Amino acid sequence: MKFLFKSTVLLLPLAFITMFYILLTDEDAYPGSDYKIFDIPKFQLENLENTKLIDNDEIKGSFILNVWASWCITCRVEHPFLMNLKNQGIKIIGLNYKDERSDAIQWLDKYGNPYEIIVHDLKGSLALDLGVTGAPETFLVSNGKVVAHYQGEVNDAIWSNVFLPIIKEKGIF
Amino acid sequence: MMLYGVMYSCQSLKKREYFKMKMFYIFLILISVNISSDSLYGLENELNETRFNNLIKDIRCPKCTSGSLSSSNAPISEDLKLKIASMIQEGKTDQEIKDYVTSRFGKESLYEPEFNNSTYILWLAPFVVLFLALFIFVSRKKT
Repeated sequence: MKFLFKSTVLLLPLAFITMFYILLTDEDAYPGSDYKIFDIPKFQLENLENTKLIDNDEIKGSFILNVWASWCITCRVEHPFLMNLKNQGIKIIGLNYKDERSDAIQWLDKYGNPYEIIVHDLKGSLALDLGVTGAPETFLVSNGKVVAHYQGEVNDAIWSNVFLPIIKEKGIF
Repeated sequence: MMLYGVMYSCQSLKKREYFKMKMFYIFLILISVNISSDSLYGLENELNETRFNNLIKDIRCPKCTSGSLSSSNAPISEDLKLKIASMIQEGKTDQEIKDYVTSRFGKESLYEPEFNNSTYILWLAPFVVLFLALFIFVSRKKT
């Protein structure tokens, strides 16, 4: 019995050290990234220019879905990287999140437009269904299915560590 | 004398009117809170209201480090609360609402984890440890 008690004193700290070692040295973990696969929820919203309605049929194939707003400062930081992706020939669809139309259009005129289609989500209804918690957030969509989700600014490091492995694995783009 | 009397009655009438008005305004101020009070999320009956309050206490705000929906005024929490209220109005069960939230914001959005294949260790471990401790305690006494 004494042996059992003594070994607990030794084993308990060892267990803690192992746990923290595993947790703290986990290189693959990128907080904010999520690889849950799900369908894009059903929606019907106007585009940013208010010229037509966009629904699930309008956005087919594989693309990047980027949630942004003109009031979002991190989106401004992220913007040059998105322009870069667009120049590489990657299709980006924008989800304008809780934003004034005129502000958003002015923002794009000023800095450039990386988006092929922009969905105007004034009330954040589609964003809520997607599980968006704020802006910017980025989804990787393959044939109508979300395969990767990242909360926060996408930059070179995030792109190559969170998105590129999935893109290569699934052969998207 | 008569003139004085008329003047007096006029004055007293004025006073009475004034008093009436004053009472009316005080009454108005007193009931104004009740008149303008309404359920913020448009829930009609008390049962739904309690269900709503219990749900938002049990669901984590997606954007906060640790805080329930009820404690949060973040825009996303407001959206989620409105959605939960409208789902209650549509007659959805608590389980359906929790499923909706967890499917979007992850299992960790529930403060009380569900009992299923991946969480049974979490739920049963304390009882197992307790049982083991008891077992060791009893077996030690005998020796």
